Amino acid sequence: MRGQVWATIVGMAVVTYLTRAPLLMILARRPLAPRLRLWLRMIPLAVLPALALPLVLVVRNADGTPVGFGLGHPPLWGAIVVVVLASLRVNFLATVVAAVATVAVLRALG
Amino acid sequence: MTQTGRSADGPATSRTAVRDGLVASLALVPSVFVYGTVFGGLAVQAGLRSLEVLGMSLLVFAGAAQFVAVPMIAAGVSPLAIVLTTYIVNMRHYLMAATLAPAFSGFPRAWLALIAHGINDESFAVAVARRNPPDPWFFIGSVLAVGGSFFVGVVVGTGLGGLVSDPARWGLDFAFPAVFLALVGAQLHSRADWLVALTSGVLAVAIALVLPGNWHIIIAGVAVSAVAALVLDPERA
Repeated sequence: MRGQVWATIVGMAVVTYLTRAPLLMILARRPLAPRLRLWLRMIPLAVLPALALPLVLVVRNADGTPVGFGLGHPPLWGAIVVVVLASLRVNFLATVVAAVATVAVLRALG
Repeated sequence: MTQTGRSADGPATSRTAVRDGLVASLALVPSVFVYGTVFGGLAVQAGLRSLEVLGMSLLVFAGAAQFVAVPMIAAGVSPLAIVLTTYIVNMRHYLMAATLAPAFSGFPRAWLALIAHGINDESFAVAVARRNPPDPWFFIGSVLAVGGSFFVGVVVGTGLGGLVSDPARWGLDFAFPAVFLALVGAQLHSRADWLVALTSGVLAVAIALVLPGNWHIIIAGVAVSAVAALVLDPERA
């Protein structure tokens, strides 16, 4: 089990190095094509919500099968708090703490 | 190319530039430190061992991807899926490496192999904001400040992470999605940015309802960013 964790970490390290070293080491002489630059910039903007929104909205059974939406449940309110504060450029820690506190308070009240 | 032979600068010049890079990055040190602390704490909470958390932070050294990987590891997701997701999340490094490359011509290849590992969003932003193409030694100084404060933060966080029991009571299970959304929120500038983020999130929810596993992340993330790159004005890049 722990061998698998280390294998994952080493795999992550290798692919991450492959995003950093090649273009620096061949000393790329010209900037990347504009559309490629735009795509590379858009990837995190698309991947992170793709990761977060299902975690916030999709309610799952203990075995992981989706059973429906959690509209109005505490994580959704937490998510709204994060996006609003982060887009207002509120400090990272304050944003995360406010969101986590929102979820904790709603759960305590609920 | 005026920037060639930069490494031939005297040692005093390069030392000054390294120090300038360090000093210019000091404003980032508290937030990077906190970022590392939050990561270390949550990773230990999620069930990773301290050595694994520290090893990942040294070997991968990419905060967003590490935040993405930890809950996947905790959920028992296959290593292949985690590694592939890491690659996608980190593909933005190509952009930074290509922009930095001209500044580093004249550096020995062995140095470049090492310096490459230090490429990070914060140092890139600081170095490019000061001069473009950036000063290589200034960038190295910034990497030292950012990398150092991140790693010290992770060490402190792994120590603190074990102190909280019953994380769900404190809403800490929500901390990972909160971090992802905070990272996105800080990048939302234009209406197109909002559209890309929302479309991808909604598409991922739809896919997650029908497809088992975590493929909705890669499918929605790659598809929506690719369509956006084809449709939007590339001058924004």
